[in-house]
Amino acid sequence: MSSGELGLAMAAFMLAPVVGGLLTGIDRKLSARMQGRIGPPILQPFYDFFKLWGKDTLVTTRENLIWAWGYLLLTMVAVFMFFFQQDLLIIFFVLAFAGACLIFGAFSVRAPYSHLGAHREILQMLAYEPILLLAAVAVFLKTGTFMITGVFEFGEPLLPYLPLTFVAILIALGIKMRKSPFDISACEHAHQEIVRGVYTEYSGRHLALITLTHWFEIVLILGFITLFWAQPLWIGLLIALGVFVLELIIDNISARLKWSWMLGVSWVVGIGFIIANMVLIYCAGGFIRV
Amino acid sequence: MGLIMGVETLIAVLVIMPFAAALLTLVVKDARIIKPLVIASISVLMVASVLLLIRVLESGPIAFSPGNLWDILILVLDFVLLAYFLYIGFTSRHPLILTLAGAQAVMLPVLKFYILPSTAKVDPVLYIDLLSVIMALVISIIGGLIIIYALDYMRDHEAHLKLDKTRQHIFFFFMIAFLGAMNGLVFANSLLWLFFFWEVTTLCSFHLIRHDLNAEAIRNALRALWMNLLGGAALVLGMILLWQASETLAIQQLMGLGTVGAALLLPIALFCFTGFTKAAQVPFQSWLLGAMVAPTPVSALLHSSTMVKAGVYLVLRLAPAYEGTQLSVAIAIFGAFVFMVTSVVAISQNNAKRVLAYSTVSNLGLIICCAGINSDLAIAAAIALIVFHAVSKAVLFLVVGSIEQRIESRDIEDMEGLVAKLPLLSGMAILGMVTMLFVPFGVLFGKWASIQAAAVPFSAWFPLVVGLLAIGSATTMVYWTKWIGRMISVVSFNRDAKVEPKSFLSYTTILLMVAGAVVLSVFVAPLVNILITPAESTMGYAKAFETAGWHLRSDWGLFTPWPLFIAITLALLLPALLIRVRGDQYREPYLCGANDPSGVGPTFHSIADQGVAVRTGGAYWEALFGERGLTNWINGAALLLLVVLFVGVFV
Repeated sequence: MSSGELGLAMAAFMLAPVVGGLLTGIDRKLSARMQGRIGPPILQPFYDFFKLWGKDTLVTTRENLIWAWGYLLLTMVAVFMFFFQQDLLIIFFVLAFAGACLIFGAFSVRAPYSHLGAHREILQMLAYEPILLLAAVAVFLKTGTFMITGVFEFGEPLLPYLPLTFVAILIALGIKMRKSPFDISACEHAHQEIVRGVYTEYSGRHLALITLTHWFEIVLILGFITLFWAQPLWIGLLIALGVFVLELIIDNISARLKWSWMLGVSWVVGIGFIIANMVLIYCAGGFIRV
Repeated sequence: MGLIMGVETLIAVLVIMPFAAALLTLVVKDARIIKPLVIASISVLMVASVLLLIRVLESGPIAFSPGNLWDILILVLDFVLLAYFLYIGFTSRHPLILTLAGAQAVMLPVLKFYILPSTAKVDPVLYIDLLSVIMALVISIIGGLIIIYALDYMRDHEAHLKLDKTRQHIFFFFMIAFLGAMNGLVFANSLLWLFFFWEVTTLCSFHLIRHDLNAEAIRNALRALWMNLLGGAALVLGMILLWQASETLAIQQLMGLGTVGAALLLPIALFCFTGFTKAAQVPFQSWLLGAMVAPTPVSALLHSSTMVKAGVYLVLRLAPAYEGTQLSVAIAIFGAFVFMVTSVVAISQNNAKRVLAYSTVSNLGLIICCAGINSDLAIAAAIALIVFHAVSKAVLFLVVGSIEQRIESRDIEDMEGLVAKLPLLSGMAILGMVTMLFVPFGVLFGKWASIQAAAVPFSAWFPLVVGLLAIGSATTMVYWTKWIGRMISVVSFNRDAKVEPKSFLSYTTILLMVAGAVVLSVFVAPLVNILITPAESTMGYAKAFETAGWHLRSDWGLFTPWPLFIAITLALLLPALLIRVRGDQYREPYLCGANDPSGVGPTFHSIADQGVAVRTGGAYWEALFGERGLTNWINGAALLLLVVLFVGVFV
């Protein structure tokens, strides 16, 4: 990477939470409009964040707080590696470690709601993790490398070759964004619940941390979607934005479903689609030969 | 250093000395003498394995043939062993054991006296390359530490059982002999010698599993025996077919022979099948699951450094022989399948040792899958996984054994909040699981490399293999995460701070191995450079990693262990050190506002304002992932895959 690219990557990393927060603002506005409400200002997530940050934290166990920080910092590591165009598999492994920190945080206090949320979060991970790993493999089949740099060197958009993989990632995106019908462990806007699953035992500053982490996560997954049309990048960004809005529409027209259904959809449809995509690429002989 | 000890002496120390030490423990019986004797002989063993490493690094692989007398001795002992197995089959009225031992007792003389000409000689009898040395290091160091751990453990174990007469000498006899047999097994180039050591490991495991002599132990030991004898029978049959097709019984001469024709591929497939039985691959997983009735050090030994590792060693050793064949692809699919299904079933288990057992079978499946993929990267991944899995799994078994002795349960549900009761043991357990589960630890390095290797279209079946690996990775995460979750679940009030009774040898050995798992993971780049890449190249594979700056760059990706280590340590350690909580910040967990402050720990108001203490439990999703629903299906599917594997040889 040249120094210019390094600067750009650093800037993207710094901007990630801002973009994530803005997207959440757009989400709340659009969702409100879809539900016939006016909705909060776009910047409301930031107001909420600073308000939470200023509050005194109530603590159930100290470990709970440690894991929240781990969740944030490890997600930041994953996002950092993403913008510095590292190995996709490693990025997803780090993201999984971060996700596990959230789970451990919820487990680290003997509290029934929090534990229920943690178990459901595990199931969510079980649903999206194979999709992300296999999507990285599908990208590899075209670019011949797991490094994100390879996507940019590939010179062509990936989406025409990987349409089925793209659809599968939408499932993972839905789960990661905590949107219906996949909002199993905690719903993004708490619209179906008062006790918020895996977040139950967090308050004040540490809830703010978790919100911030969620913004990073959204940027990371949308960033991965952008890679499907990296040449030129603005089309990829538009696609990511379009997918984001699509996810909001799906969220507003569907209800939360059972976890077994989520697992079925993500394994059968998600994994099935990606594998079908790989078979197609293989049969067409369009993979990188080594 | 290599000059101080001759090759012959080193081999004698690594193979024969354990048997001698084992016999000595059997004779002296006195625990006060056994302890120093065991520690001394294990220390010698460890030093010898390191000296062997230096020797092989300096002057290349060692080819060595002991005199003819040894061949005769091995043959005689073969028959003694088979006679003993027949005797067991006879006294326990076990027709399967009788049949399988009988089949071997018929086939072996046929091979030796009828098929093999009297002048037939395998040369060299022993061939020690870096792969053998890596195995010997794992066997001697990790296996050795497990036996040292067992010194304290068995004392407590027998105290708990209230035995009249100690049976420790029998226990240590088989434990130490096991190490010698394993070393012999990985040094052998002659299949006849390999067969002998193979049968000795079968014998040792049989006796160790039935050590406590209760009905369950005896039953499970017999099951382990017949399944391993099945493997042994396949091995003898393979040798007969191999000799008739190629007139050789030397492993080193098999390289590249698989592509010649079905007549040569079939014996190789039989040898791999033998490996599958010893590695407890589905449908033979039940013997390893049953083996956990034995005292914990036995499980630790069988699961980490010996026994099952002999199975994957054989499959991996033969990889160059079946390279480029359909058999190789079938092995990859079979391994990936086992990796996936056993990690799914592990989710439903609340017995800690069963989770560990399924995890072992699963990881061995991954190693076998890598051998089947058979590329430079896959073989490197397989060797790395053998090493890292051995260390981490030894830690986990020993830690669970110690926990079991403290809380008298191996149920994960009973480990709720254990970090508060047994902080050091639980800490080591959690760290052990983390080394199995997360980047940047070695097992994940192996997983990363194997997914990459599977992603390269090595065959039209690669989407299936990589799909199974991806699902298996996710399910692996589930069972470890749930378990860690149970152990860290605590309440801030009324933490019962018990004094943790520590027995010196047990804790030291576990700590050493945890430290080993972490250090090896940090230094994975030099490990690859010094051991794994050269080991691969003597097997005929090319270098898989560039290690500039101690980063591991494969042809298709980049793994950066130490920057990740720094990042992850900071991300978890800094908050742990810096976060301060004032006493007035503490609150009880959320209970819908019905908290009852008078209770001990979280309590809520229930019917008629009765205080009910909060109870939480782990989820195991039995209905979906349970053994009851799945075992028959996965056994059937695995059998089908094995049939396909053998049929594929002829296509």
